Formats: sequence, structure tokens, C-alpha cells
Amino acid sequence: MRVSEEAVFRWVVIVGAVVAFLVVVTLLTSALVGAILLLLFVLAGCVHAYRWAMRKRRESRG
Amino acid sequence: MESATVTLDHGHSEHHGPPEANQSSRIDRQTLGILLFIISEVMVFGAFFASYFFLRVVVNPSHWPPQPYELPVAVAGLNTAILVSSSFTVHYALESIRRGNRTGMKLGLVVTWMLGATFLFIQINEYAHIGFSARDLSFGTIFYCLTGLHGAHVFIGLLLLSFATIRAFRGHFGPDAKDHLGVEVPGIYWHFVDIMWLIVFLTVYVL
Repeated sequence: MRVSEEAVFRWVVIVGAVVAFLVVVTLLTSALVGAILLLLFVLAGCVHAYRWAMRKRRESRG
Repeated sequence: MESATVTLDHGHSEHHGPPEANQSSRIDRQTLGILLFIISEVMVFGAFFASYFFLRVVVNPSHWPPQPYELPVAVAGLNTAILVSSSFTVHYALESIRRGNRTGMKLGLVVTWMLGATFLFIQINEYAHIGFSARDLSFGTIFYCLTGLHGAHVFIGLLLLSFATIRAFRGHFGPDAKDHLGVEVPGIYWHFVDIMWLIVFLTVYVL
């Protein structure tokens, strides 16, 4: 498993881009729309993390 | 922990101290340690975010922030830009030492430290002028808890960066991966602090 500063920095850029998008959407619409979108992004992040963890588990066993 | 080995006169070497820890993981123990620490920190922040959303959604006050309070969104936005910039500079410091550029690493670390200190200074200044305290309603309490918790993390990050910077100026780091863990580990922590601020800024100041 390769975990390095580079990988974490990539997540800073991804989260930064998502937050910038959510700030713009919230300012253009309303806080409720921003909150719903944030919830969707959090759910997508959880699904991604779960799939990543399962893949790593299979790799370590196989 | 480093173990000591003493070579005796008759040629045998005698081992002193505890044996080297067995490394069963494919990730080095310093990086594993900071990752486990960050996971525990995510849970701490999660508890505070749960409190925030409980107050915001379940209690559902008519105005948020309660009148007549206002949050300085523009100043917080500027602070966000400063902190995000500091992630780029610490990444530059790491990339520099990977290429063997010690001057670039020192420059990156010093600039990162200064950006972090500026962030903390602006946040303390914001507290001084914001017009409410942690005692003013549950809103004031959760605002100071979330931003204060993050501020404490920035302070710890600055301490780690200070140690890394001092070591960099003493010539401690090298291009090999195992020779610059002292910059990489604080760098990972600093990125975590940055990501947490982005989420705090979005939830507390924008939503």
C-alpha cells in the first residue's frame, strides 16, 4: 500500500475543488441546495472509500 | 527505538536494549502512525460536526446565525485561500527534497510556516472582533468549538513544521524516501488540517 504526502496532497486538491464548487452553488442558490449536494458528495466519498478498502483487502489476501 | 550493539574484545557482539520492532506492515511505521492519528482526529471532528448539524437541523432555529450575529465570510474566505496555499508550499518543499534541492525545501517549509502563522493570527483577530463569545447561545459555543478545535490543530501543525524547519536548516534531510520522513509526516498532517478547514469553512461560514 503506497500512502504518501503526494496521495494526501491529491485529496487536498480534490476536496478544494469540491468545496469551491459547493460554495459557488450555495451562493447562487440556497444553503439547502448546498447542504444536499454536500451530503451527496459525502455519500460518494464513503462509497469510494469502501470500494477502495475492499479492493485492497482482496489484493492483500490474493 | 534504536538498539545498541557493543562489540566485545573477543569478537562477539552483545545486543543491548529491546529488539527492533517487527515491521509486518507494508507501510513504514511513521506514516502508519500519523495515518492512525489522523483517523482518530477525523472521529473527534465528526463528533463536533454532529453537534453542529444537530443544532442546525434538529433544533432548527428560525435564523442561522441567530440575529444580530454575523459571520465574517470574506475574512474566512481569505483565510481559506491562505491555508490552501500553504498545502501547495509544503508539497513544493517535499518535491524539492525528493529532487535533492535543499534550498527549495527550506524555502517551502519557511513559507508554509509563515502562511500557517498568518492564518492563526487572522483567526485570533477574528475572535477579537466577531462580537460574540462562546457563552452566547449554543451557536456561539459550537462556532468557537469547531473553529477553536481546528485552530488548535493548526497550532500543533506549526509546532511540527517548526521542528521540520529547524532540522532542514541543520541539514538533516536527504532525497531518499526514508531520509525525509521528518518532512513528509508533518506534510501529511498539514494537508489533513487543510482538508478539515475546507469542510469547517463550508459548513460554518457558507451553508
